[in-house]
Amino acid sequence: MTSTPDPKTVAVATAPREGGSEAVRVLKRLARKPLAIVGLVWLLVVVFAAINADWLAPFDPTENNFTLEGLLQGPTAEHPLGTDENGRDVLSRLLFGARIALAVGFGSVLVAMLIGVPIGLLLGYRGGWTDRIGTRFVDIIDALPGMLVAFAVVAILGRGLPSIMLAIGLIFSMNFARMARAITLAERSKLYVDAAKVSGIRESTILFRQVLPNLAGPLVIQGAILTGAAIIIESALSFLGIGLESSVPSWGGQLGAAVTKMLVQPFMVFPPGVTIMLTVLAFNLLGDSVSEALHGETRKRFKRVKRESAAAPAPADAGNVLEIRDVTVELRSRDDTVELVKHASLTVGRGEIVALLGESGSGKSTLAKAVLGLLAPGIGVASGSILLDGRDIAGMPEKELRAVRGTELAAVFQDPMAALSPVHTIGTQLTDVIRAHSKLSRRQARARAAELLDKVGVRDAANRLDDYPHQFSGGMAQRVAIAIALSSNPKLVIADEATSALDVTTQAQVLDLLVALRDEFGMGILLITHDLGVVAEVADRAAVMNAGEIVEVSADATSLFDAPQHPYTKKLLAARSRPPRHKTAKPSRDGRRENAPEES
Amino acid sequence: MLKLIGSRLVLVIPQLLIVGLLVFSLLYLVPGSAAALILGDAANPEAIKEVEAQLGLDKPFHEQLVAWFGGAVQGDLGDSYLYKRPVLDLVLEKLPATLSLVGGGLIVAMLVGIGLGLLAGVNARRLADRAVTGFSAFMQSVPEFWIGLLLILFFVIQLGWFPVRAWTPPTSDPGAWLRGLFLPALALGTGASALIARQTRTAVAEALASRYADTLTAAGVPRWKIVFKYALKNAMIPVLAASALAVGILFGTSLVMERVFAFPGLGSLLLSSVISKDLPVVQGAALIVCLIVIAVNLLVDIGYGLLNPRARPQ
Repeated sequence: MTSTPDPKTVAVATAPREGGSEAVRVLKRLARKPLAIVGLVWLLVVVFAAINADWLAPFDPTENNFTLEGLLQGPTAEHPLGTDENGRDVLSRLLFGARIALAVGFGSVLVAMLIGVPIGLLLGYRGGWTDRIGTRFVDIIDALPGMLVAFAVVAILGRGLPSIMLAIGLIFSMNFARMARAITLAERSKLYVDAAKVSGIRESTILFRQVLPNLAGPLVIQGAILTGAAIIIESALSFLGIGLESSVPSWGGQLGAAVTKMLVQPFMVFPPGVTIMLTVLAFNLLGDSVSEALHGETRKRFKRVKRESAAAPAPADAGNVLEIRDVTVELRSRDDTVELVKHASLTVGRGEIVALLGESGSGKSTLAKAVLGLLAPGIGVASGSILLDGRDIAGMPEKELRAVRGTELAAVFQDPMAALSPVHTIGTQLTDVIRAHSKLSRRQARARAAELLDKVGVRDAANRLDDYPHQFSGGMAQRVAIAIALSSNPKLVIADEATSALDVTTQAQVLDLLVALRDEFGMGILLITHDLGVVAEVADRAAVMNAGEIVEVSADATSLFDAPQHPYTKKLLAARSRPPRHKTAKPSRDGRRENAPEES
Repeated sequence: MLKLIGSRLVLVIPQLLIVGLLVFSLLYLVPGSAAALILGDAANPEAIKEVEAQLGLDKPFHEQLVAWFGGAVQGDLGDSYLYKRPVLDLVLEKLPATLSLVGGGLIVAMLVGIGLGLLAGVNARRLADRAVTGFSAFMQSVPEFWIGLLLILFFVIQLGWFPVRAWTPPTSDPGAWLRGLFLPALALGTGASALIARQTRTAVAEALASRYADTLTAAGVPRWKIVFKYALKNAMIPVLAASALAVGILFGTSLVMERVFAFPGLGSLLLSSVISKDLPVVQGAALIVCLIVIAVNLLVDIGYGLLNPRARPQ
């Protein structure tokens, strides 16, 4: 390479890596996890024991004592953890065993990384057929029982520390291969590796310089967890007598001896067993904690939100199917409280379509979920009341709410594919909903389901009941979701971004269907959307929400467009890049219909 | 349905070939000639040559490989050096104990794992969830064979609730077979149950937080039906995959557990043949275990297709 670096290699050199400040942040997060500290402390104890076993151990771990009182003692002052079948001091053997455990643990994980990581790097970097065949091979090897692989390696190489490390390393290597492949694939798709490729750096250089730093974190985490697993496998092999020689003070070997003498001295089972368990647990805790700290996961504890006890609300206007009065929705964790919806008030009349408009994050969907009683744990209505047909349903017990849902209240959500269970037929889902509110037999419910599907415009309805959601188009699936919402003639339907995931033509058809159904059944519709076009198309009135507050409620849909009151509404209207369906004329009630798509 | 099974069977063929090749290569990887192993160290070179010719060991690698595959397909896995008997007979004798143990362990793992996972998933982020998550993290750190030892210490030696001799063939006394199997299966299943519980918890929590659960809830479908009919069936797909993984682990661990409970299974056969370098037996037992694991994976794959309509060949 010449002395004048070309701009692309500069870009490579500054590719994102974990900087010092990031490392500090991760460590700080780690320090706040008590379990990680406990794990770390125990591992430090094990490492300390391994290093200083020579002077820590009260006895020589291989010193036999074949006297009657020397064999198989329980805990005594001289031997705090007793003696084994050869009269050797158990505590001393445990201390020296720490060396074996750490050597086997770290050694075999290192072997596994040395075998697995290059395979994974190669598969991930080459891609294509190399990857396809190689990955299949990795899967096949990984499906073999690990213990069997270990048996085979010992059969080939005989007993001893190196063959144990190789055996366990082989078992874990495919795990690392899979991980390295996934990360390389992800890195490969990023720009900076391509840039390096263009600038002519050798492939292997790219791999090692760009991918390895990104691999480091996951490698450490997986390495820690597998170190624990390696200790278990070594102990199992030594327990079986095909691991290390019996004179070697391995923890597993000590357990193996304990089995044969269990009837005489049951205590022998505990010291090595508890030591193995604690050490493996420590590795697992540390691995999990580092993983959480790296990903910035802090497990928030949520608190239940209870509504302030309020006086019985004043009776609702009989013309309104829904009255939202001064509702505040809060998210409460142990540390703080966030108001997601602030003192919102809104009404929906019978047979009226009210649009609730706002950008994503404005709190409009939270308000909808509050009405439906579907708020996530930790979120709840803190004050105010929600009157559905005159009854306050905010904070209503789940049991009573269930009777309201479906019969008086129903919902249609965004993305119809996600709104239907992918592994159940449409017919199953529809009949379950129908039978939740009626005493119809399965057969009658099925007939009603076909009727409903037909009503919402699904062709050949009776035959489509046995189809799965993925066999429907997006628009048809949304019609099915509407059929589910309509199954028990609700008084209010909440359509939460019900048309946002659909293409424009389908969107218009679904909106027309909602209007037609409203005209036929007379239910109120709360239409939640970020799309001004939808509002202009079908809404009788519109409310605008911003940062958790309802900033404006228009007397009718057109007045919102003609004479916006609130500055946010004006900004919202101005920011509209494409005037949805009325490019020329200012939207008016008549103009709206004129400019609507032809099929309406 | 037939299409589904057919498409999965095709995928198994390369798997069988690779496993067969690996198992066969064992013979080549082990230092020292097989004939010398049979005849002992003191054998003269001519006798060794003769035995090698008998076994076909003087032929080139590929001919031996083809001959071995040909034999294996017909159930001829060679003779044991040590017992001078067909390997298949030896393996089949030991298979009932191993299959009982692994089957029992799998039942325990799935019952406990799915039960706990469901409990945690339904109560996601609440106390029951934290308890189950902590419990499964703990269980994954405890060697299963040590749990087996503790169970024996407590229930067999202290309380005397279970017989010391755990294994009874199911053909001679089904009641005693089940009773003897209880503790070993329990010990074997705990580690795998932690794996399945974690997977179930995540899948159930995800299913209950999904849009379709919201749709059904909003339409008034009772909670129990959403949990047990909808969430559970959706969650079964990843849980099934975890259970398949568990079968491989259970087989490996059962080889160790056999020694704890003195089960006359494949583990003891493998152990003695590894120590005495009785290679045909090591090969045969390894092959049979691999075949069973592959067969289970095939069944799971088919079950996967039955559960998930999107995975069915169209």
